[in-house]
Formats: sequence, C-alpha cells, structure tokens
Amino acid sequence: MNDETPSILLVDDDVDICASMADIFADVGYSVDFAHEGARALELVRRRPYDVALLDLKMPGMDGVTLCREIRRVRSGTVSLLVTAYAGGDTVQEARDAGAWRILAKPVDFPSLMGLIDDVLKQPLVLVVDDDPDMCASLRDLMRELGYRVCIAHDLREAIERLQETTRVVLLDLRLPGEDGGVVFQRLREMNAAVPVVLITGYPAEMGPLVDRLGTEGFDAVHYKPLDIPRLLADLARLAGPATARGRVDRTTEI
Amino acid sequence: MIDPDRTYRRYQDLQVYVGWTDEDAVRVRGLAPLLEPHLPALVDDFYAEIARHPEAHKVLAIGQAQTDRLKRALLAWLHDLLAGPYDRDYVARRWKVGARHVEIGLDQVYTNAALSRLRDGLVNYLGESWPGDRAGFVEAIRSLNKLLDLDLAKIEDAYQAEYAARLQDSERLATLGQIAGGIAHELRNPLNVIKTSLYYMKTAHVLAPEKRAEHMERIERKAEQAEEVITTLTNFARMPVPELRPTAVGPCVHAALANSPVPEGVGVEIDCPADLPPVLVDPCQVRIVLGNLIRNACDAMPSGGRLTLRGRHDDDGVEIKVIDTGVGIPPADLGRIMEPLYSTKARGLGLGLALVRMILAKNGGNLHAVSELGQGSTFTIWLTAAPEEGEVA
Repeated sequence: MNDETPSILLVDDDVDICASMADIFADVGYSVDFAHEGARALELVRRRPYDVALLDLKMPGMDGVTLCREIRRVRSGTVSLLVTAYAGGDTVQEARDAGAWRILAKPVDFPSLMGLIDDVLKQPLVLVVDDDPDMCASLRDLMRELGYRVCIAHDLREAIERLQETTRVVLLDLRLPGEDGGVVFQRLREMNAAVPVVLITGYPAEMGPLVDRLGTEGFDAVHYKPLDIPRLLADLARLAGPATARGRVDRTTEI
Repeated sequence: MIDPDRTYRRYQDLQVYVGWTDEDAVRVRGLAPLLEPHLPALVDDFYAEIARHPEAHKVLAIGQAQTDRLKRALLAWLHDLLAGPYDRDYVARRWKVGARHVEIGLDQVYTNAALSRLRDGLVNYLGESWPGDRAGFVEAIRSLNKLLDLDLAKIEDAYQAEYAARLQDSERLATLGQIAGGIAHELRNPLNVIKTSLYYMKTAHVLAPEKRAEHMERIERKAEQAEEVITTLTNFARMPVPELRPTAVGPCVHAALANSPVPEGVGVEIDCPADLPPVLVDPCQVRIVLGNLIRNACDAMPSGGRLTLRGRHDDDGVEIKVIDTGVGIPPADLGRIMEPLYSTKARGLGLGLALVRMILAKNGGNLHAVSELGQGSTFTIWLTAAPEEGEVA
C-alpha cells in the first residue's frame, strides 16, 4: 500500500545526475529512489509502485526505451518520462510506443519538469482488474491517452497488491480465474471502502444474480462486454473526476 | 564550382589528342546547310525514342512543357555543334549539359546512347544529301565524329566532376551531422548535471553547507568533463607533429596507468621486462594511446576483471598488448571500431581508437585488435625500436 507521499524513481548511468535530481525531489518532499542501470531499476520497480519514473534514454546495458516497456509491463500505473541528450529521431516514436508519457531534452528544464510531474500526480489512478491481457492493454492505452494513470491486475493477488490509497476507481471484471467475483469485490472494499468500483462482465445472464446482490453492497456502475466505451468513459469521469491533467495530446514541452 | 579556363584547357588538350584541327572546324561548318533542314525531324525522332525507355523518360519528359523545352535545348545544341566556334564559351555550355544531367539524375549511359543515335541520324541525312565525292564524304564524317566525341568527353567530364562534388558534399554533411550529434550528446549530459545542481541550490528550502559543497563540486567536475570533450576534439584536429625520442616502455606504461586510474574490481598486471629496448616515439602521445586503450579495457569490464599490460621485444620493435577479460567485441563491430565516430558505447564521441590509430601512424607504429565475445579483447600496439646508440629517455 502506498501512502500519499509522491514517489519517483530516477534511472541514469551518470551517478552525478541522479544525486543532483534526488536532492531536488527530496527537497520538495518526494520519496526518491535511484538506479544506475536497467536491471537494478526493475528490481526496485517490482518492489514498490512508483508514481513517476524518470529514465535516461541511452544507458549501457538496457536502454531507456526497453526499461520503459518493462516498467509498463510490471507496473503500468507508473508514469515514465524519458530524458535524452539527442534531438529527436526514430527513438522518440519508439519511446512513445513503449509507453513513455513525455520525452524531454537534456539539459532538462527543471521548472517545467516539476510542472509535468505535478500534472502526473493529478492524473486519477484507475485500477483495472481483468484476466484478459489484451482487454487490459486496450483499456490502458485508451485511458492513458485521456490522462488517467492505469494500474493493471490480472488476479485477486495482484489486485490486492496494486490497490492504493490513491486509487480513484476500480474497474473489476467479475469473472476472474478461480475466484468468486463477489469475494474479490468484498476484499477490495475491505481494503479501501471509499474507492468507487465499476463492475464489468461478459455474462449478463449468469452474473445477473451476483450483480443484484452486490448492488446492495454498493458498487457504482456495471458495464457489459462488449463495452460501450463512451458510456464507460462517462462513468469514469463521473467517479474519478474528469482527467483534467493534461493527457498525451498536449506535448508543448516535449521534443 | 567550375573553372571555365581549366575546363577549356582540358578541352584543347583533348582536341590535340583526337587530332582536331581548324580544317575540321571548317569542314563541319560546311555541313550545316545540308543538315539544318533535317534537325527538327532528328530531334522529334530522338524524343520519340526516349518515350520508349521508361527510365530515361521518367527523368527527361515530365509533361509536355518540359519535353518542348528539352527539344528546343537539343536543337540549340545541334545548331551550336555545327556552327561553332569551339571556344571557351562553347565548352562551358557543354559542361552545363553534363552538370544538368547530374542535377536531374539522368544516368550517363543514356548520354552515350543518345549521342550514338544522334550521330547515326546526322550521318544518315548527310549520306542522303551528300553532293560531293566519296572521299569528301569520309573526310566530313571523320570531322563530325571527332567533334561529337569531344562533346561527349566534355559532357562526361562535367558529369563526373559534378557527381563527385555532390557526393562529397553529402558525405561531408553526413559526417558533420554525426559529429554535431556526438558533441551535442557529450556536452548535454554534463550541462544537464550543472543546470540541475544550480536549480537545486537556487530552490532548496534548506541548503545545508555540505550539500552546497557537494553540488559545487559536482558542477566543477561536470564542467571539466565538458572541457574534456573539447580537448578530445582538438586533440583529433590538431595533434602536433610527434617529437620522436628513445623512450623506455615500462615507465611509459606506468605513467599512462597513473593518468587513467582503473576502477575497483579490475586487477592490473604489468609485464614489461626491464630489458625491453627503448622505442622511438613521442612519449606524451604514446601515453595518450595507452590511456585510451586502458580506459576502453576498463569500460569492457563493468563487473570487474583483469587488465594486463604486456611488453615484448618483437623483431625491430616492441609490442605492447593491452589485454582485458571483458565482454568482448562482436565480430561485426571489430572491423569498424577504429573508424572515427563509430562507437558501441552509451557515452563518448567514438574518437578514441581513431585517435589511437592516427597517433600511432604518426609515430611509426600500428594497432591490431583481436577479441572473443565473453572472453575479452586484446589490443596490440607495435612501436619501432630506437637505434642502439640512442639514449633512454
């Protein structure tokens, strides 16, 4: 479980830049970790969910784009920003495809970087609990575009691990392998009574009674697959608050 | 780009070569009245043929207006050919034709083929309307052929010169881009640290004296790192002529190691027998060479290893091997690592080994590399032994 202190992971093979940035973020009250290479960074990422990861693009061993892709796989709720000393090229597109939220040029303009990180922290955190990886990836990409941070869990264990104090909405597929959807719902509610839960199911008839029963326990919306995306997004905006933070569309400070 | 006088001189030289005389000029001018009436038909036939060759057609005939313009140019060229005079301006106009072919991307085989076709047409018309005897006809054809060959030579000359100039331009631009990109990367990284530390010192809510000192030190270090980038570049651009003198190998190796400290985890073994003959080199420059090879060896061993510096007497020189037990170099890279700006590392301009090779060449030495993936690499430099009577520096 995460407390409200924003957490940031700095990854750069240059020891000096990590030390300097760490001081800045620590000074404004962030919890800061750093790593000088990709493998170590991934170890840290597996250990705890960071709000933000600031990654150098060109590093010996695992490069920043690969690391970014790995972080998205392990912790899709972590927003990655890539920093590069190069001025554009193919890597920029590659980095975006790997899930980098922004690509920043070195030397980094710190006032605007701080603004960007504030924006990230304002992005509502959504937890998607669904055992279908494709479904999760599609929802993640869609919601990222709109300025949500998206955590993904494929089963109850991951869902428990990834539900945070700061999670604003949970999208819960009622049919998880080996689990009773009702139990999952109750477990998540026990952990975080305040978080709105949107139920999702591909089996309206079969799940009807469960949906009715959970209704008395107060879920916030129910959606049936195939999803009516506009309606789902409307519910999301209602429950999580609109994604007011700038999404990927505005790229004013990017390369 | 071209010097018309030089071009004309070359043309005159070719005239002598093919035996072109004023008589030939007079003879060709005499053909003009016979050929002029046929020239428009010749031009039309010429472009009709082009339309049948897609590659030439797509370059030459972009729309009717373009074709009309080209036809007028060809007609003017034929008039010019027959009328002369074959002076400096005439040659400059021929040059332009070749240069223009490069510009539009017309393959030179078409110039050759086109001239053959025009020649055939001209000879054909002459044969049909020739008023004189056979001997005169042969003379006329010989003169016309010389002139056409000279024209063709000039057009090709221009084509080659322009083509080479363009290629050089684009290569130069590519290299410039590569260098600029490398320098940008190497300078932006230290600048990034400097700016970041300055930002911290300006905005920190509490700036403890030791934090301040730490950041100042970092800024200084990074400024020096940026300066090193410039030093590397100037080293490359302006390495002075070596001051060759007899130099003892062992002390030189030790001095290089002292200047390029190896990281923890890398064990160093120096194996330079005291009886190695002195070598005839500039010791400062050889230290730069060894320093580069030592740094490379250490970079290849990020998780530690063993660095061996081994000197051996070899024929009329001394061989120094810099051996690491690092990651090794893939065969595909091994052939390229000595090229300037070629780098497989995340940091660096890619000038190190190119510099090493350049210095060694100036010092009468050479460099050789072997590598085994996962086992390590060995860089061997060979230096000339100093003459016996030389003193050890």
